[in-house]
Amino acid sequence: MLSLGPIGFVAPWLLLALPALPLIWWLLRVTPPAPRRQAFPALRLLRDLPAPEETPARTPWWLLLLRLAAAALIVLGLSRPVWGPGAAAQGDGPLLLVVDDGWPSAADWPARAAAAQAALEAAAREGRRAALLTTAPAENGEALRATALMPAEALRARLAALRPKPWAPDRAAALAALQAWVSQNPGGFASLYLADGVEHQAQGDGFTPLAETLTAAGPLTLARAEGRATRLLLPPRAEPDRLHLALRQAPAAMAGEVAVLARTGDGRALARATIPVAAGGEAGEAALDLPIEIRNQITRLEIEGEETAGAAVLLDERFRRRPVGLVGPVEQGASTPLIGPLYYLERALEPYAELRQGGVAPLLSRQLAVMVLADRPLPEGAERAALARWVEEGGTLIRFAGPRLAEAPDPLLPVRLRAGERQLGGALSWEQPQGLAPFADSSPFAGLPTPAEVAISTQVLAEPGPQLSDRTWARLADGTPLVTAEARGAGRIVLFHVTANAEWSNLPLSGLFIDMLRRVVALSSGVAGAEGSQPLAPLETMDGFGRLGPAPGGAGAIPANRFAETAPGPRHPPGWYGVPGEGGERRALNLSASLPAPRALAAPPPGTAFQAIGGVPAERDLGPWLLAAALLLLAADLLLSLVQRGLIGRAARLAALPLLVALASTPAWAQDMPLATRIGYVASEDAGLDETVRQGLVGLSDYVNRRTAAALGEPVAVRPGQDDLSTLPLLYWVITAETPTPAGAAAGALNDFMRQGGIILIDTRGEGSGEGFAPGAAAALQRVTRPLAIPPLAPVSPEHVLTRSFYLLPPELPGRFAGGQVWVSRQEDRANDSVSPVIIGGHDWAGAWAVDARGNNPYAVIPGGARQRTLAYRFGVNLVMYALTGNYKGDQVHVPAILERLGN
Amino acid sequence: MAEPSPRGPAPPLNPLAAEALGGRLPPLVVAAERVAATVMQGVHGRRRAGQGDAFWQFRPYLAGDAVGRIDWRQSAKSDRLFVRETEWEAAQSVALWRDAAPGMAWRGGRDRPEKRERAELLLLALASLLLRGGERVRLLGARRAFAGRGALASVADALSRHAPPAADEALPRHARAVLFGDFLAPLEEIRAAVAALAGRGVRGHLLQVLDPAEETLPYAGRVRFEGMAATETPLLLPRVEGVRALYAERLAAHRAGLAAIAGAAGWSFATHRTDTPPEAALLALWQALAPG
Repeated sequence: MLSLGPIGFVAPWLLLALPALPLIWWLLRVTPPAPRRQAFPALRLLRDLPAPEETPARTPWWLLLLRLAAAALIVLGLSRPVWGPGAAAQGDGPLLLVVDDGWPSAADWPARAAAAQAALEAAAREGRRAALLTTAPAENGEALRATALMPAEALRARLAALRPKPWAPDRAAALAALQAWVSQNPGGFASLYLADGVEHQAQGDGFTPLAETLTAAGPLTLARAEGRATRLLLPPRAEPDRLHLALRQAPAAMAGEVAVLARTGDGRALARATIPVAAGGEAGEAALDLPIEIRNQITRLEIEGEETAGAAVLLDERFRRRPVGLVGPVEQGASTPLIGPLYYLERALEPYAELRQGGVAPLLSRQLAVMVLADRPLPEGAERAALARWVEEGGTLIRFAGPRLAEAPDPLLPVRLRAGERQLGGALSWEQPQGLAPFADSSPFAGLPTPAEVAISTQVLAEPGPQLSDRTWARLADGTPLVTAEARGAGRIVLFHVTANAEWSNLPLSGLFIDMLRRVVALSSGVAGAEGSQPLAPLETMDGFGRLGPAPGGAGAIPANRFAETAPGPRHPPGWYGVPGEGGERRALNLSASLPAPRALAAPPPGTAFQAIGGVPAERDLGPWLLAAALLLLAADLLLSLVQRGLIGRAARLAALPLLVALASTPAWAQDMPLATRIGYVASEDAGLDETVRQGLVGLSDYVNRRTAAALGEPVAVRPGQDDLSTLPLLYWVITAETPTPAGAAAGALNDFMRQGGIILIDTRGEGSGEGFAPGAAAALQRVTRPLAIPPLAPVSPEHVLTRSFYLLPPELPGRFAGGQVWVSRQEDRANDSVSPVIIGGHDWAGAWAVDARGNNPYAVIPGGARQRTLAYRFGVNLVMYALTGNYKGDQVHVPAILERLGN
Repeated sequence: MAEPSPRGPAPPLNPLAAEALGGRLPPLVVAAERVAATVMQGVHGRRRAGQGDAFWQFRPYLAGDAVGRIDWRQSAKSDRLFVRETEWEAAQSVALWRDAAPGMAWRGGRDRPEKRERAELLLLALASLLLRGGERVRLLGARRAFAGRGALASVADALSRHAPPAADEALPRHARAVLFGDFLAPLEEIRAAVAALAGRGVRGHLLQVLDPAEETLPYAGRVRFEGMAATETPLLLPRVEGVRALYAERLAAHRAGLAAIAGAAGWSFATHRTDTPPEAALLALWQALAPG
């Protein structure tokens, strides 16, 4: 190894290539640069110009310099220069690396790994052999064992693969492994201990005997991270309106603040709380005050900037929204909007609680915090017994009165009810519907405003008794109880003396209803119910850095009833456990729940050398940086050459090509002004007929564009059943003897089109003066329209909207032919605002409207005259306006104005 | 329906920009001694009875006329019955065309638009003026004509999808034509195209849109010139500055040839550089097409 000041070269013989640089200089000088390329449209005018004399061009000097610098950098980089080669470890002989790889090491793991690698590198340069001993139990549950002595280079790969574990180190086990290793490798060795600085057992952490054993065998260097406190975030305590956060740490000299982030399941940070920690303090506390709907989304709390498994806490359902079961009066009863018995309950509870619906028995088979029974009597039987048991165990039962409950009261009520209900107000009563009295201070509803508009018109009445007053949570203005409650065992029964819908009172319509239900649900004692011994499989587990990932193979399931006392370890890494699959219940296993508070490490034995982790710059291999710089220079050289040759624009265009191809492959219909209003026509098998209709609709569209404010696009041919008709206001359909009867999908599409407000103009092209032009069309009309939902028809009357939606027209509505009858749906058909979904006639309007490519009308009108053609166009305008504005002009408001104009 | 343009999707046309450009000029009613025979209503009276709004004449009632067409007020003045007729008022058709050859999609510098872009802008601005004047606009080779103020968006839409040659069998006689392009093709080809149109009674105007780099040849040194179409063989010039004067001579000769072609057909010819504002070219077009 060659050393030049702070730089050492590992492969100095490669520097011999530097004298070859002048050769590169000479080679570059003799090759002329490539010509610049230039696209030029007027190339034809440039051809055969007499060529002027040719002078050789040279590579510019700055480009030469660039290339030479790149070559020099490559040579230097390959000779592997090292900046600041590190000092060797203490002593001589083999080196034993002892690494704490428990959860506290994760916080500064890169610095630890770098320190260990630097020690190995120095050992490798000195030719020393090395071994590695880790202190945390392995993932696969095997006993701890130190590696055999091997060349330091060989150990580097193993060290690089080492990751911190999401549990605490076991130094007692490490001591046993060390003793076994010492007995196999007699003779002295130097050791480097990368310690995490924390004692993990409340009693008898094995650090002191471990350090003494190492000191006995040779010099010990203890590497510690100075001035960094190891922190443990405890699972929060859930209170009704806040989360109570708590923190434990090894005492630190400085007072400080620790920020805690609350994250959702998809990783978004929702809130940030700071926990103050006093100087020398071991604990800190803070409250995270969040609205419940926000709080329910939190699945994870973590200390900001500290990536360890101990600084992250997962929150499962126990901290979150309460599961609430809803049961209606009839089990199969659907939740009818606005009048259903459960409708308002669902709407009120959905934002704050997880709702489940079903029968009583299925609901009780899972854990449930609150059950709501809306007007459901409980007859004697297994159901009532199960509910009573569940309430005793801690469930909260909310019941709503109703006609059925009033007929058959049962014991699962807080008060005894009088049979029947009490009517307040009504035809045969002097009483008025009652409002609410303000809530008493002892009531859980205390503090809620009582809106004046809430009125109770019917309720069930409680039998008066000595305890009635204590059990009443809310009263009417006249003092009768509205909400009563009674504690039973660990649970509670709450009765609302009105229905859960707006039948007996308008309470469910008010915001108070939501607040009352929220208070009651918040009062419930969380999740109640029996837990079986079914296994909870590991779904996602944490690594040492507190990151969630798929569970490792060695992780095992935990029986549900033993979950609370299970401590995380190699067999059960911290993380999510539960039933796999969508909607399965998940439980969180947190590392910090089972760990004692971290304590500072005991003093090491005398004679120990100290080393800081982090802060000291490691030795740095300069070779890759030099090579990267050379590559950058070469890339710049490439770019400059391309620019010089005028190729850079072309390259950019080539890069854009795939994008253009992607754009070009979108369908033509989508590119084709999709927002324009168009008239459609049904494509037939006859290309000539289709062209006539297209010309007709083009002519009509132009006429409409010219004469009205409507802007119509190019007409479009459609095939019902295959194309989407929903963007078309009007469909022109020519029926000939050959027109096929629309089959299933086509008929359905046409019926949908008519039902959703589209208008079909059916033209048989052979009526009145055109009699005989289209033989068989009338019969075909009957055949073709049979599968369609054609409403009852009537001739167009002089008052029909079609005759005055833009122009005032006579009801004959001529086209190319005149004198036939045009039919629309009968006026009394109120569906679709009386707009006729179909107009049937035979005047060949498209023929009259048609304009060919030269701008002429190719078809003569019969019997003839410019007036007939004008009327045909005007009918077309009226038709388009009718399709676009519906019965707007049929409105009686316009009648006086129209009469006045008719009078002139 | 749409022929694929030879270099993929064309740059997006902006009818609003064209409308803004044309907004400073009055609506253009084309001078027309003879109006193309179409049924489209317009402002050019045809001195015949037909569709239209202006009164033309009263003629005596003939057997076969609908009774509803009798003008009773006029008939009451004498013993005879009269029918009221209106004058046939038609719109002039103006066919527009821009060269969509690959050579048009080029610009010599970043500070100016492509020739095709400028040609399309001028075409749309002219179409906007014509539509406002009540004339009928068509694109050479497209299947239909456009009319009405709202049709500019349709013109732009059709323009972005059509790249036909400068010929149209369906063009009515006595229509007007305005062709935009760089006209760098051999003179014989241009003469053939203009003669084919002129032979059908079409009078027109040629506007040559050139990039300044095509006029001045501002390159220097060893340059390999490549044509815009893949079929053209590249040309390697060792010293471009040496041929600049010769190139300018050739270009001038080519332009003179174009002017001669236009003159022979009774057409007009003008040039436009893409580094000059489009307003000037539009004003020149307006003056060339407007009466008087």
